[in-house]
Amino acid sequence: MNKLLSALALLGCASLAQAEVAVIVNAGASAAPSQADVANIFLGKDKSLKGVDIKDWTPTKDKFYSAVTSKNEAQLKAYWSGLVFTGKGQPLPTVADDAAVVAKVGAEADAIGYVDAASVTPAVKVLFTLP
Amino acid sequence: MRKVHLLSLAIAMASSTAYAVEQGEFVYNGFGTLGITHLGGEDDLDYGIQGQTNDGWRGDQLSKFAVQGQYGITDTLSLTAQLGTKPVQDSWEVGPGNIYLAWQANDNLTLRGGRIGTPIYMYSETLQVGFSYPWLRLPEEVYSLVQLTNHEGADILYNRGTALGAVSFQVSGGQAKNRDVYSLDDTHDIDYNNVFATSLALSTDNFGTFRIGYAEADIKTTIDENIINAFGSPQNYVFNDLDNQKGKFSSIGHQYDNGTWLSAAEAIKLTTESNNSNETTAFYVMGGRRFGDYLGHLTYAQLDAPAGRQNSMTYGLNYSMTPTVTLKGEYKRVDISQGNYTGVFRADAQQTYDNGVAELTNGVLGEPLGTPDGDIISVGVDFIF
Repeated sequence: MNKLLSALALLGCASLAQAEVAVIVNAGASAAPSQADVANIFLGKDKSLKGVDIKDWTPTKDKFYSAVTSKNEAQLKAYWSGLVFTGKGQPLPTVADDAAVVAKVGAEADAIGYVDAASVTPAVKVLFTLP
Repeated sequence: MRKVHLLSLAIAMASSTAYAVEQGEFVYNGFGTLGITHLGGEDDLDYGIQGQTNDGWRGDQLSKFAVQGQYGITDTLSLTAQLGTKPVQDSWEVGPGNIYLAWQANDNLTLRGGRIGTPIYMYSETLQVGFSYPWLRLPEEVYSLVQLTNHEGADILYNRGTALGAVSFQVSGGQAKNRDVYSLDDTHDIDYNNVFATSLALSTDNFGTFRIGYAEADIKTTIDENIINAFGSPQNYVFNDLDNQKGKFSSIGHQYDNGTWLSAAEAIKLTTESNNSNETTAFYVMGGRRFGDYLGHLTYAQLDAPAGRQNSMTYGLNYSMTPTVTLKGEYKRVDISQGNYTGVFRADAQQTYDNGVAELTNGVLGEPLGTPDGDIISVGVDFIF
């Protein structure tokens, strides 16, 4: 029984250690897009908000795209290549890291981004988190 | 050795991918395919639009390479140019692809002018970008029927979100003169006048993307070849002569991909005005599933022309080597299941003539082609950078 409890406790720790991803908008933003809307924004289909993407394929980016768009890195690149080479779309502008995403979303009323939940500041509002 | 070298070069280039695109600067992207393909079980005829699939392990059917540069003239006006190389019959040609100015009027509307992709099929505009679709060979039953890939003219792209999903509408017009058309295992001149093409696509959140398209053009071409006629004399024989007769193409398609399961289906109809007996229809249905970095897929395709039917099954396995390089392998079994018909198998002028004579004379003269069939194996890598 003790073993089971400690195993459960360990599992609990493991899930705490696994960082949540927060989808964030400007603190003053009135728009509250759903997860499906967010997918469309980051796939360039919905331009109601300006998506701020992270340049490198980080664990946060991987979790965000897997959960919200059901695409891994290769699938996302295949998707954009279909648009880039038809002149029908360009991948979203990117910034270097979470701090830059928070800074941009905090400064621009119509920006939307995703960051590690630990990077969230009062300048931005969390729309939803991805466990 | 050379192939290995090219492959590692491709991987090295693809690994250095930079996707950062900002307006007002020069951005380049590229794509390519290195692949070989082999047709077994068919001795007399080659396969494919240009007949490049035969019993040699040839690389020219599948391989191609192109770069695209985009320059932002202003925040809303950009110039795009593609330069590519692809095999034309038995030699490699380097030349410009699409070159156009695009003006983004607002978030929803873009106007383009220049040499632009013609929106014929669901995968038309990314025909060369193998990385953007699951196959190494797009189903030829459908994709060999219209050879026009771009035209000089203008188009309007309109996109907007709706309650049902994101809608994209495209209407395009112009002309494509002095182009090549491949027929009877040879190149012929063709003019596509008054090209008009339009498509409407609805990309839903949960049910994939639905697309309908229509295209037409006034076609001017004479398909004639020197042959030895049934009496043993040389003759210039006209197989087909179109003097601005309207070719009409309509299509309906669907694509679905939830990250694990994917499917694609497309059905098309092609007719030439004032000759209702030449209606050709074709379709394919593909289903696939991803297992980690692997993707297995299965495709049934069918082509129905007045002369008969071709159908095929394709079994494919892809491996995502890196996020920008995919290794693909395909086995395709092709059969002519009805009629005295060659489908996407390519007979030359003499074979076609002899076959026609045999049909007319019930085999007394000429030589029937028989019913071709074959097994096509293809292996290659698709990459982008």
